[in-house]
Amino acid sequence: LPDQGLKPQIAAPQLATNNPTLTTVALEKPFCMFDSSLHPNKSYVVYLYVMKESANAISSLVTDNNGKPLNSTFQQTSGGQTGPYKAALFNVPNCASPPKLADVGDVNRASDVLKQYLFRVGDDGTCLYDPNFLAVCNPPLSPDTTYRFKYVLVDSTEGIMKEQTLWSDPIKTRRVKLPLKIDTWPGQRSGGMIVITSVLSVLVFLLLAGFLASVSSVVMRPEDSSAVTKHTSQTIQQSELTPQLISE
Amino acid sequence: MAKSEDGIHILQGLLVFGNVVIGMCGIALTAECIFFVSDPHGLYPLLEATENDDIYAAAWIGIFVGFALFALSILGIIGVIKSNRTLLLMYIILMLITYAFEMASCITAATHRDFLTPNLFLKQMLERYQKSETDNNNDSWMTKRVTETWDKLMLQNQCCGVQGPSDWQEYTSAFRDTHNDADFPWPHNCCVLDARGSPVNLDGCKLGVQGYYNSNGCYDVISGPMNTHAWGVAWFGFAILCWTFCVLLGTMFYWSRIEY
Repeated sequence: LPDQGLKPQIAAPQLATNNPTLTTVALEKPFCMFDSSLHPNKSYVVYLYVMKESANAISSLVTDNNGKPLNSTFQQTSGGQTGPYKAALFNVPNCASPPKLADVGDVNRASDVLKQYLFRVGDDGTCLYDPNFLAVCNPPLSPDTTYRFKYVLVDSTEGIMKEQTLWSDPIKTRRVKLPLKIDTWPGQRSGGMIVITSVLSVLVFLLLAGFLASVSSVVMRPEDSSAVTKHTSQTIQQSELTPQLISE
Repeated sequence: MAKSEDGIHILQGLLVFGNVVIGMCGIALTAECIFFVSDPHGLYPLLEATENDDIYAAAWIGIFVGFALFALSILGIIGVIKSNRTLLLMYIILMLITYAFEMASCITAATHRDFLTPNLFLKQMLERYQKSETDNNNDSWMTKRVTETWDKLMLQNQCCGVQGPSDWQEYTSAFRDTHNDADFPWPHNCCVLDARGSPVNLDGCKLGVQGYYNSNGCYDVISGPMNTHAWGVAWFGFAILCWTFCVLLGTMFYWSRIEY
């Protein structure tokens, strides 16, 4: 069974910008990867296997001795730690007419385009804890861990593997930081604040100095200096009267 | 004698004019500060939760200072026209006290504006938004208000997080404790919502497909009004104080030259 050197790819980053997240990875479905092995009269399914990169040392086989694909689950492999687990099962994507990514802008077709184009590993947060769940469980992945993925083409009537891709390049899920570590120190003071503070301080100082100067000049002033008087007009009248009195 | 009388009249005229301007600016300051305290953008809960709400304290002081300036300017006008020493002395002393309060308000507003950085709001959002286990009544009250404010902000302004939705992915948070990453990479308010308030395409939103989630951050929407508030109180108060400085110096000179 020839391996064509093809690997699962991560979904187009310009489409799925939030990828990979803490616990999920969205992969492109295997378009035109298995076409050389498809027989027109047979029905096929694609299986997706997930394993942690560290499991490579233990086992990376996805089939048993008879060529049948493994039925391992997330729990059995401790989340991909001891070997690959089957995370999904879907129809062979249509190579002849792949979904047009530009159509995702249309609200009515967006769901279909996304479903046909990609598969989100780790999407189901509840299937692990649901005892009635019978389908293939795709639980969330672990944060800050490197995973590798593989697509396997299976003949659905005979139940044996027809072809498999290579293991994908290692893909790492995101890592989080603690909000405690965020530094909220404002850094340098802004120029405006420094101007306001310094100028106002100087002005207040000048005001107080001016106030002290005027109080002291009032307290220590001799009695007869010329200044504004409340009775300016009266003083003028008086000085005008005195020459008259003198002349009389 | 006539020359110095003219000079005195000119000084009186200038002081009356100066006081009229102070009176009008006082009313304007009161009105401006009442507007800011009324919090038209509903951002006060965010500041209250960071315990950094001193720009509101500055605005409160501004309300009372503005009114005091108006009242004192009337006193000043009467004192200058009547050349009454006692009135003018009272005017100067009360003005100095008001000056000190307004100076405190300006400096407080300017200084505390510097504390309002994106990281401050980021930390608070991550630690408080939808926090489920609160320690006491005060904590639960603030958490509730912060959550409501953020929900309203994200809905009305079509924004997400402080710098962007990636804030929710880069940091762990109180929200992350109760909502798993597979279903809620970010809150559903970050998704483009239809008329009934549910996401238009939940998968598109979770994957970050353009058009189904809000990709810009809310920081501009928060910092814009707060900057206006802080700089409005600080710089307008500063301008009033510069003008008042001149009028006060003139009044002190005038007072010192009155003879009983």
